[in-house]
Amino acid sequence: MIAGLAFYFFAFILIAAAVMVVTARNPVHSVIWLIAAFFNAAALFLIAGAEFLAMILVIVYVGAVAVLFLFVVMMLDVDFAQLREGVQRYAPIGAVVGGILFLELLLVLSVWRFAPDAAALRMAPMPEGVTNTEAIGRILYTDHIYLFQISGLILLVAMIGAIVLTLRDRPGTKRQDVGAQIARSSAVAMARPELGEGIRREDILRPLPPPAKEAPKPVTHEGGHH
Amino acid sequence: MNWTLALPELVLALSGLAILVAGVLPRRDMTFPCTMMVLGAFLLSGAFVLTQPDGMGFGGQYISDAFARFMKVLVLAGAALALLLALDWNRAEGLSRFEYPVLVLFATLGMMVMISANDLMSLYLGLELLSLPLYVMAAFHRDNARSSEAGLKYFVLGALSSGLMLYGMSLVYGFAGTTNFAQLAQVLGGTAPISAGVVVGIVFIITGLCFKVAAVPFHMWTPDVYEGAPTSVVAYFATATKVGAIAAIVRVLAGPFGGAVDQWQQVIVLASIASMILGAFAAIGQTNIKRLMAYSWISHTGFVLMGLAVGTEAGLRGVLIYTPIYLMMSLGAFSVLVAMRRNGHAVENIQDLAGLGRTDPAMALGMAIFMFAMAGIPPLSGFFAKLYVLLPAVEAGFWLMAVVAVLSSVVSAYYYLRVVKVMYFDASTGALDARPSGVSFVLAGTGLFTMFFFLMPAPLLAAARQAVAALIG
Amino acid sequence: MFVGAVFFPLLGACVSGFLGRWLGDRVAMWSTVFFMALAAICGLLAFWQVALSGQPQTVVLFTWMQVGELSFSWSLRYDTLAAVMVGMVTLISTLIHLYSVGYMSHDATPSRFFAYLSLFTFMMLMLVTADNLVQLFFGWEGVGLASYLLIGYWYEKDSANAAAMKAFIVNRVGDLFFMLGMALTFFTFGSLEFDAIFGAVQDHVNDVFLGIPSLELIGVLLFLGACGKSAQLGLHTWLPDAMEGPTPVSALIHAATMVTAGVFLICRMSPVMEFAPVALAIVTVVGASTALFAATIGCVQNDIKRIIAYSTCSQLGYMFFAAGVGLYQAAMFHLFTHAFFKALLFLGAGSVIHAMSDEQDIRKMGGIWKKIPVTYAVMWIGSLALAGIPFFAGYYSKDAILEGAVAAGTGVGMYAFVCGAVAAFLTAFYSWRLLILTFHGKPRADHHTMEHVHESPLVMLVPLLLLSVGAITTGFVFAPYFIGDAATAFWNGAIYNLPAKDMMEALHHAPHWVPTLAKTVAISGILLAILIYGFLPHIPGRVAAAAPGPYRFLLNKWYFDELYDRIFVQPARRLAVQLWQVGDARIIDGMPNGAAALAAGASRGTVRLQTGKVASYAFAMIIGLVVFVTLFLTGR
Repeated sequence: MIAGLAFYFFAFILIAAAVMVVTARNPVHSVIWLIAAFFNAAALFLIAGAEFLAMILVIVYVGAVAVLFLFVVMMLDVDFAQLREGVQRYAPIGAVVGGILFLELLLVLSVWRFAPDAAALRMAPMPEGVTNTEAIGRILYTDHIYLFQISGLILLVAMIGAIVLTLRDRPGTKRQDVGAQIARSSAVAMARPELGEGIRREDILRPLPPPAKEAPKPVTHEGGHH
Repeated sequence: MNWTLALPELVLALSGLAILVAGVLPRRDMTFPCTMMVLGAFLLSGAFVLTQPDGMGFGGQYISDAFARFMKVLVLAGAALALLLALDWNRAEGLSRFEYPVLVLFATLGMMVMISANDLMSLYLGLELLSLPLYVMAAFHRDNARSSEAGLKYFVLGALSSGLMLYGMSLVYGFAGTTNFAQLAQVLGGTAPISAGVVVGIVFIITGLCFKVAAVPFHMWTPDVYEGAPTSVVAYFATATKVGAIAAIVRVLAGPFGGAVDQWQQVIVLASIASMILGAFAAIGQTNIKRLMAYSWISHTGFVLMGLAVGTEAGLRGVLIYTPIYLMMSLGAFSVLVAMRRNGHAVENIQDLAGLGRTDPAMALGMAIFMFAMAGIPPLSGFFAKLYVLLPAVEAGFWLMAVVAVLSSVVSAYYYLRVVKVMYFDASTGALDARPSGVSFVLAGTGLFTMFFFLMPAPLLAAARQAVAALIG
Repeated sequence: MFVGAVFFPLLGACVSGFLGRWLGDRVAMWSTVFFMALAAICGLLAFWQVALSGQPQTVVLFTWMQVGELSFSWSLRYDTLAAVMVGMVTLISTLIHLYSVGYMSHDATPSRFFAYLSLFTFMMLMLVTADNLVQLFFGWEGVGLASYLLIGYWYEKDSANAAAMKAFIVNRVGDLFFMLGMALTFFTFGSLEFDAIFGAVQDHVNDVFLGIPSLELIGVLLFLGACGKSAQLGLHTWLPDAMEGPTPVSALIHAATMVTAGVFLICRMSPVMEFAPVALAIVTVVGASTALFAATIGCVQNDIKRIIAYSTCSQLGYMFFAAGVGLYQAAMFHLFTHAFFKALLFLGAGSVIHAMSDEQDIRKMGGIWKKIPVTYAVMWIGSLALAGIPFFAGYYSKDAILEGAVAAGTGVGMYAFVCGAVAAFLTAFYSWRLLILTFHGKPRADHHTMEHVHESPLVMLVPLLLLSVGAITTGFVFAPYFIGDAATAFWNGAIYNLPAKDMMEALHHAPHWVPTLAKTVAISGILLAILIYGFLPHIPGRVAAAAPGPYRFLLNKWYFDELYDRIFVQPARRLAVQLWQVGDARIIDGMPNGAAALAAGASRGTVRLQTGKVASYAFAMIIGLVVFVTLFLTGR
């Protein structure tokens, strides 16, 4: 009973929050509503007995993804007036088309029937004697290892893509060059000053300046974008 | 767990990782060695594909059969040749980066996963592994606004289609209770009426797949992406990935959803007719040859879908014959497109080909062969491709589709022949730069295939028949 | 050996065509000659083994295609019919290759020419050795293509381009009928393999298609197809124009080989044709009419090559009506001998043209026989053979044909005989008109040209001499095999005759006055020509002036071109104009003109959908999805 009430409570908030994500005028508010939606979804997971998933949702989606979203949205300069103009122009047709699709999907869902053994499955979501986390682990790393590995490759490709599209070697970027540091020979040398005299300013040995280039090119082309 | 079954994919994935490391570590430009290594990986993987036994692996998520082998060989060959074409182009455009071959490798791996998919989940993941590198590659020329725009457009629309497809898969899972192809085929092949939920799910999945093969009305991205993306990338888009997309749609519709053929047939018929008509008419007004190729592909999609819509063994065989022939014609045509440079700058208007018949007769001859073949003029290979999808359609009584096919190929002959006319009869506006050797290689190989296919079609026909037999079971 | 005869020319074509630039012209030329010579050796050996020793064979190369129950393989069918053609084609082609080395020596791109020539030979061999109708059709189209390329070889000349186009289009008309015939054959027999067709003819005698007996219809359609290629009455207009090509081409394609493909087809299909008497009657009538009609035109033409072209047309008519009355053997025999003397005449004419600095009008020649005696002599031999003077090749075959026409004992046979006899007279007449105007009388060319008249180089004369040996000997050497006592063993079942009407037997019982009559008309034709053109040179002009109507009628080739222009070309153009105007003004009101513009309009419409906005693309996708889902849910 209480579980049922809690389910409807969280589900209602989840849907409301999802609607707010789409309709909120300020994108920052949208993201905050999104975070609210994640929390509620996590609560639903908890009710279903999937604590591991619930925690993962909170940690990964709320803690990392949504916060990243927030940063991005706050940094981007989006012209909302222009966006809204497009929405208004297409709104009538969009509403009609969306309405038709929605009705059709309703029609489809109306024929939904639960399988006879659905109730039994719901009561025992995981095998006997295994914790929630272990059950997921089995599915992910044993049954679906193939899919898991492919997902890993997809993430790798996403990373490569992000690097390819954004990383640039700008001229003048300062980077640590370990090899050069180690190979430097003319390090500061120790000097032994006369007692009581201290060291004079001129005695401080400095690394020799690099030899001047003999014939500097008239205009060096700084085209090293990549 | 017979994981050795997936040896081609494993080899490709591991060599992808190794090549990535090999590309990152040295402090000099590794594009050329990486490209060669990727080509080697393709070759190795292809060898494993050829020796792959039949069977299922990973709990029924992976299947190896004659169909998969047929398509994988095509995909690998297409990818390798397209990569060869890209090498020179990327160098000339200042896009020489070792990530490019690696991305091609992972995209190809995605296609192979897709082709071997025996489960909606592995199909979806394969599709994503294919799509993600493609988005990046479309935007590869990142200092060019049009390239970035192409990448972004492709990404947004691709994400939408993926979403639709995933939604469809969830519907199918919800209503049919499984994502495994074999079990789906069992469920749908029964006598019980098919639930509306499954049917709508199938439509959503078809939507996603139609987006990949660029069938009308999900084709809108194609011309823009083709025009904006670097030509070398488009050469890959238009060849290997098309094979992968065709393989996926054939695998899904003829395999698990084969039992529901009456349900999806009319949708595919509609998409086929619309694609043929749009592809034929929209291409007429184009001046950019890459856009022209985009519409040309849309028209070819119509033909491929025609064979699929017929749904019979002969129709599917037609599709499988169409695919390699298209692959060869398209690779050949793109080898010419890639070689279109004047004074070091890439040019891409049809008019830039003017006078090619005199300045570079060999290339002009090649292009003329590909154009004639695409128009379906006998005895070039393109004619047979169209014949083999048209005949089953007529036999099965799809008259409307057949008539539209013939008429659209007449209309499309107009714009193909226009290219030939420009090459041979218009005054030259200056010779193109000398073509690189990679281009000559691809041009000669594909040209000979297209020209002389009619002499020895038997091996291909036999392979296609075997593949179809494996598919239908 | 069997394969070599067919594929050596292809090898030669590839070497010359692809490597020509790299090898240099001389090497390319001689390599094709070399490969052709190899092919000729193989061809002659094949002829020996198949035809003379009686060992027919079929060499299967590989399976070509399988479409449903339709299955074809590439294979070479060597029976006597094919062996005769292979031997003849390879031999003559070799000689003509050799001749071309001299003739084309001043050309800019001889390697291209030789590649085409060898390619043509290969296609022709493909045609004659075909084992099924599809392969035959492949060769058929191939020779058409090669002929088109060669007629238009000098593509800078507008007339050559126009002639090539004309040949191509007229041949397309014929090919259309051929394809229909092929389709009907498949419909009737369920196969296109010759063996299967011939084996099943008996079962399909009573089949009816659209109220017409199927075999008759097949026969007529195939004959119409043959008409296109063999320039028979109605579809002959392309042949004289085809003389725009280089002379060796005219000799090889438009005299000796390709144009005889139609005759070959009829003979090859003899088992079917024999059961189609009406179709055979049509063949006879059309053939006879062509023989006469072309001969009349030949009498007034002035272009040396066109005269010979019309003569070819006329001789092809002979072959057709011989086949029509059931004497396929005689048709093949005439085809065989004709190849030698007609090639000889063409090459001789080429030699004359070469000597006269590319002059082709016989009114501007004359008085050159002393300067080019060898050419003069071979032209005489060729003309004697053509006119059917005893002991020359043409005598045996032409006599057999005329006798057969009488022996057939039917109405169409008699019609054919009368036409044939008159044509024989005219043939003799125009041949000597050509000889006398070309070689005798006062020189009518300008001084400059006359000074340059010279005999051709040895490389051109050798083929001429070899061919003249052929023109003399092939008649009496091969007559016993083709139509004489050894015929049954020689043909070995390659040609089928209805047992009920044994034409070979009837041939021997032809009335005795027939050969006499034939000889008489030929000799009187010669004498008349010598008389008129040799001694009374003002007569022709007076005759032409006295009867301007008939003269102009003949000079304009019976107004066939004008007729076609009036009947087909003009109405089509008018119709197009009408459609364009009406469609423009009324039907597609407001649309830009013409169907092409309509397409362009549609194109613009579809392109307008391509706005470039991601949102509208996505929207289109969603709409498409909704349409699909709706279709699904309502279509269930």
